[in-house]
Amino acid sequence: MRRLPRPVRLDFVAPVHRAPVAGVGLCAVGLAAAVVLGLAFDRKLAERRRLDAELGAMAQPRPSAPSPESLKSAAEVATVQRELDAPWTLLLAELEAASRDSAETISLLNVEPDPGKHLVRITAEVRALPDALAYLKRLQQSTVLRHAMLESHERRKDDPQHPLRITLSAEWHT
Amino acid sequence: MSPLWRDEVAIYLGPRKLALVRRARGAKPRVVAATVVAVPPGTAGDTGPVLARLADVLTDPTWHGAKARAVVADHPWVRYGVVPCPATPLDAAGRLTHARYLLDDSYGQAVADWALTLADTPPGQSYVACAMPATLRSALADTLDSARLELVSLQPQLVVAFNAWRHRLPADDSWFVTVDDASLSGVHLSRGAWDRVHMARLSADWSVEIERLQAFGRVTQAAGGAGRMLVDAPAWMRRGAAAGAGIEWLEEGAGRGAPAHGLALLQRMYA
Repeated sequence: MRRLPRPVRLDFVAPVHRAPVAGVGLCAVGLAAAVVLGLAFDRKLAERRRLDAELGAMAQPRPSAPSPESLKSAAEVATVQRELDAPWTLLLAELEAASRDSAETISLLNVEPDPGKHLVRITAEVRALPDALAYLKRLQQSTVLRHAMLESHERRKDDPQHPLRITLSAEWHT
Repeated sequence: MSPLWRDEVAIYLGPRKLALVRRARGAKPRVVAATVVAVPPGTAGDTGPVLARLADVLTDPTWHGAKARAVVADHPWVRYGVVPCPATPLDAAGRLTHARYLLDDSYGQAVADWALTLADTPPGQSYVACAMPATLRSALADTLDSARLELVSLQPQLVVAFNAWRHRLPADDSWFVTVDDASLSGVHLSRGAWDRVHMARLSADWSVEIERLQAFGRVTQAAGGAGRMLVDAPAWMRRGAAAGAGIEWLEEGAGRGAPAHGLALLQRMYA
């Protein structure tokens, strides 16, 4: 092929650093590469979605009938949960305050909570029935407890001082 | 019309002649208007008359609203130099300073305040420097503004003619000469690049000028061997020249209907 003289790129206005044909060619190649890359990326995304879906289907737990062991375990968990849910701090503070108010007349023997029923059963000894009624009245005024009642009372004959053993119950607010 | 495909108006500015070609672009570019008008003579080197004539022509809406590419006649408004590659690598500003020094050395203080630009050349090779009156560009842009023409290119005649005929030129040891408007510009090619540039003002007697051209060709051949001289000249001048006188005329459409030389140059820009 015959060699041509080089073109003279010289202009007082337009920039002379031009390569229009090469530039258009490079631009076309770049666009084509971008399209090819885009299509390849789209294919990979679709494949990834498909694999994610398959993986999700494999990892999903199959529904099955609960076993007796799992039911027992669940019940134990629920029990513990209920016990933990009891407002121990408030309840004990309230009982302590009531005992302090009646410190001369009552002697607490046992406090037994029943978290399932939100019920607390109190066993105590007093000298006389009015003292027991006064303590009951004090518990009924409490904002933490409700439905306080005297469940039983019994004179202890085996004790030389013959105290009166009483059992009270009350519900705590949830 | 997309701004990328705006019409183009090519303008040839000579001291005696003004030519315009409007080209519609798009899928099928085509010349939609062309004209050549004479320019009243003025002071040598004065761009006022041709720009005033251009302003007159641009009152015609035919030429409005396009990009403008201007070609300036070499004589009297352009000076060239081939600047050898300096021994020390220079940045753009250093290359310009070097080129200005060499042009001042060749043409004197007349070009000291002219605008200078350099051809884009691969590193390590000599490069073409070109100077033009500094006020020409701004004055031309102002004239074009009134017709909503945006000046996007301003090139000298020799560069445009060379690029237009490049496919017909040998790469080694040959002269390319363009003749028009009472001036001559010639460039010698060596290994595909310019290595010498000559310019000369011609007299009104074309027969004498043709003889001078032929003598120039003979001298060139005698000095360097088998150098060829390829000449781009007006059709009427080619018709009047003797055949086989050491000159190879570059011609496309040499008939009587051939366009004026400046117009032909503009049309070849779009060939």
